[in-house]
Amino acid sequence: MNLDLAKPDPLPSYIYVLSDFLRGQQLFSHLFSSRVSALSFRSTPLRFYLFLVKAELIGWQHIDFGFEWRCTSISHFGMAIERILKDDASEEKGERARMASFVGAMAIADLVKTTLGPKGMDKILQSTGRGQTVTVTNDGATILKSLHIDNPAAKVLVELDISKVQDDEVGDGTTSVVVLAGELLREAEKLVASKIHPMTIIAGFRMAAECAREALLKKVVDNKANEEKFKTDLMKIAKTTLSSKILSQDKEHFAKLAVDAVLRLKGSTNLESIQIIKKPGGSLKDSFLDEGFILDKKIGIGQPKRIENANILVANTAMDTDKVKIYGARVRVDSMAKVADIEAAEKQKMREKVDKILAHGINCFVNRQLIYNFPEELFANAGVLAIEHADFDGIERLALVTGGEIASTFDNPESVKLGHCKLIEEIMIGEDKLIKFSGVEMGQACTVVLRGASHHVLDEAERSLHDALCVLSQTVNDSRVLFGGGWPEMVMAKAVDELARTTPGKRSHAIEAFSRALVAIPTTIADNAGLDSAELVARLRAEHNKEDSNAGIDVISGSVGDMSELGISEAFKVKQAVLLSATEAAEMILRVDEIITCAPRRREDRM
Amino acid sequence: MDKMISTASGEVIITNDGATILNQMGVLQPAAKMLVELSKSQDTTAGDGTTTVVVIAGALLKQCLLLLSSGIHPTVISDSLHKASVKAVDVLTAMAVPVELSDRESLVKSASTSLNSKVVSQYSTLLAPLAVDAVLSVVDPAKPDLVDLRDIKIVKKLGGTVDDTEMVKGLVFDKKVSHASGGLTRMENAKIAVIQFQISPPKTDIEQSIVVSDYTQMDRILKEERNYILGMIKKIKATGCNVLLIQKSILRDAVTDLSLHYLAKAKILVVKDVERDDIEFITKTLNCLPIANIEHFKEEKMGYADLVEEVSVGEGKIVKITGIRDMGRTATVLVRGSNQLVLDEADRSLHDALCVIRCLVNKQFLIAGGGAPEIELSRQLGAWAKVLHGMEGYCVRSFAEALEVIPYTLAENAGLNPITIVTELRNRHAQGEINAGINVRKGQITNILEENVVQPLLVSTSAITLATECVRMILKIDDIVTVR
Repeated sequence: MNLDLAKPDPLPSYIYVLSDFLRGQQLFSHLFSSRVSALSFRSTPLRFYLFLVKAELIGWQHIDFGFEWRCTSISHFGMAIERILKDDASEEKGERARMASFVGAMAIADLVKTTLGPKGMDKILQSTGRGQTVTVTNDGATILKSLHIDNPAAKVLVELDISKVQDDEVGDGTTSVVVLAGELLREAEKLVASKIHPMTIIAGFRMAAECAREALLKKVVDNKANEEKFKTDLMKIAKTTLSSKILSQDKEHFAKLAVDAVLRLKGSTNLESIQIIKKPGGSLKDSFLDEGFILDKKIGIGQPKRIENANILVANTAMDTDKVKIYGARVRVDSMAKVADIEAAEKQKMREKVDKILAHGINCFVNRQLIYNFPEELFANAGVLAIEHADFDGIERLALVTGGEIASTFDNPESVKLGHCKLIEEIMIGEDKLIKFSGVEMGQACTVVLRGASHHVLDEAERSLHDALCVLSQTVNDSRVLFGGGWPEMVMAKAVDELARTTPGKRSHAIEAFSRALVAIPTTIADNAGLDSAELVARLRAEHNKEDSNAGIDVISGSVGDMSELGISEAFKVKQAVLLSATEAAEMILRVDEIITCAPRRREDRM
Repeated sequence: MDKMISTASGEVIITNDGATILNQMGVLQPAAKMLVELSKSQDTTAGDGTTTVVVIAGALLKQCLLLLSSGIHPTVISDSLHKASVKAVDVLTAMAVPVELSDRESLVKSASTSLNSKVVSQYSTLLAPLAVDAVLSVVDPAKPDLVDLRDIKIVKKLGGTVDDTEMVKGLVFDKKVSHASGGLTRMENAKIAVIQFQISPPKTDIEQSIVVSDYTQMDRILKEERNYILGMIKKIKATGCNVLLIQKSILRDAVTDLSLHYLAKAKILVVKDVERDDIEFITKTLNCLPIANIEHFKEEKMGYADLVEEVSVGEGKIVKITGIRDMGRTATVLVRGSNQLVLDEADRSLHDALCVIRCLVNKQFLIAGGGAPEIELSRQLGAWAKVLHGMEGYCVRSFAEALEVIPYTLAENAGLNPITIVTELRNRHAQGEINAGINVRKGQITNILEENVVQPLLVSTSAITLATECVRMILKIDDIVTVR
């Protein structure tokens, strides 16, 4: 229609035309609201008129505020509603709010969807900040963490509970969570469109999630008792995790590396004591695991390069002269000799400090701050190995693994806890010299040295290895294991489908939808590998209808394969976390019926 | 051809070195940035072949585009490329000729191959042996496969021509001897001390001021200052030291005119403003220890050399220390050039040549140059592709075709007809002449090994593996996301 609604006059005729137009269409309320909200009205009376027309059409009981409606327009007409929100604040309600959150969440899910599975794609993250650095990654958590997100629901998906929790606690499965939550919302949207109340959907989802968890629990394998088998399980899990990452080519090597590192921890989940050092050069295959601790620093000139049975003092202290920290303090003297005396006294103080440090009976001194030339020489004379300017992270870890404490005063040698290790020596990795502390107090400590062609590769390798380490350390505690490759999803889907059949009422629709969302994971894995997902998933479903099937998607050969033979395993803990947190997030977004954007805080002009 | 780069700061660089060119270009596009990174990685791994690696990556990407448009899934391409590159490394290793470190001639040959593509190619006969000697002199017999290029110091000095470049057995400082007050410029049988303290009036860390209330005090203060410095110099002289290398100090003057004067009187040669970063290199070379306090000035911390002298070089002067007793495993190369541009390019070229030798020390194999390995790879991989099944064979064939870009580009840049050359090259290789390559000087195909055009195996293999790795990474990308 060609209505020029921007013009205010003559008002009555417009109202007439508009009402005629709307009545002539014999609208349903739904159609009406979408049609009207698509128009943009500038004239306030018109907007209010629309409100009335609509109210008349659908009855006052079901007023849907889906079209553009503002408190201001009402107060214009002298009605008793005051302005509730501030100027810049806005609110979106009902259908629109839900729509906005669905769309946002699904957009995020679609973004990371293509990184899922062993043949998933990578993303370039181009930073708009300084340096315009480029990151290439396959890690869902890294992608989500660095996104600019404006949509509140999408933020929920990224920040509130899923990815970050998933990444911090279980370390892996971040992409799966987001994809599953996205699929759940996609299904929920359809249900909402067919007039099923969100609360009913949520109830259905909850039942389905519980049922899916039960189904998984029935199928778990626990090899805790058999050490040999347990280790192969760990290897399988590590390989499965790594196969979707950059390390996939050398997954055997890295899986072994990660398993060895985690087994050293002896059940603790403190990944702090596994240090990862990145050194460009060489290829990924040259990466290795070393017991002990490696510090990327140099030994002072003229000091021993190798110490056995070292007593280490880790300190954070300034090694220059103690300065008087009062502003404007100065010394007045009346002769040059006295200046020389003061200088000598300063030197003496330094020497005393060094003597105090030496009194601890140490032969290695690591300082976070600079050690200047003079103390360095004193240490060299005493045959003590001194390392200056170690980074903060470095000394904390060093203190942790050698069992020492970081000291900053040296008056009481008895009360300072020294660190110990069997051997300190200088080693060369690639072109760089590093200092290695082996035989440290904390036996589980170890260092993984990553080698690779470029920084991109190294950074990505570190992220991948971190994921693998997290999963493994969790598995050591909770040794229940499942198969991978879409197998758990199919098992869950089957159980959920059965539940849907036996559940009366509307909820069964929601339960059915849940099962469809679960199947989306194997579908995505197949799609990403460039396979015919419709065909494969149908075959998979048929396989799973038999009892005790181990069938999953074998991406390498592009068909349905036996997961136990292929050695593709996943930790139960990861799968459970994926299932539960995706359901929770979907539920949270489903409950939304209003989005209020707060007015931005005004920046005060300081000028 | 060379490129002239004018940097943002108005500086002009003329170079032929791929890594330098790419580094200076302000590349914004993320994938292009990855190629720059690729060139850098090749620089750190092999030091040479920085252009080759980018050219191969570009050719591979071009072939990938064709494969993608014919509907092959990127992961399939990526996996096939990986297989092809592993096979390629095998082929190259099979082609390689082992070389002994004692075989100086072969080492010189490979260094000169690297230098031939540079601006300074006419000096390759001089620079190549120099690079070989420098690297061999820092190789530690205890760890024969490790070379730390930081043990080779390159000193650039403007003036003269590249011809005057020399390797110095000892140390070279790009600075004058301090002889403001008539100090010495030559010292035989030198006893050298590296000091990290200052020979100047005392200065405390705490702020101080001297209050003069009487004019007689002024004289006294001056006298005290003189005595203080004299005292220090006497102590130094007492140990028999006659050459002082003084570390630069930011807190106060390392030496004053007064102390220089006394040092000159005490017949001590002084080199001042030595950077702190250089101290380690110097002490390693001189086999001595730095001294941070006058109290610790002892004889055992000093180094000994036959001769320390100041030499006029072009307009400037340098200090040379030669005949060092128990010299550490270091080398110094003095690079000369008629202008800054040539000098810088000579430095870069020499770096490449040093890297080539280092590669050979790491992995003692040589391979022919002049496009021979690439065309041989292309032929063998092409044959292998025919045995493979499915998409894989198709992708490997593309990989083989992409490798032909190297001889093609070589011929094109030499002003030859690339198609004739490449087809003839293919023909010769098919007949079993695996070392046939492009002889750019003669403009025809010859046995390239006989022409002494050789390069380290490591350069070729790392170029292929790194380029493939980079292309695979780019292939797997399906989205560019703008982030914070």
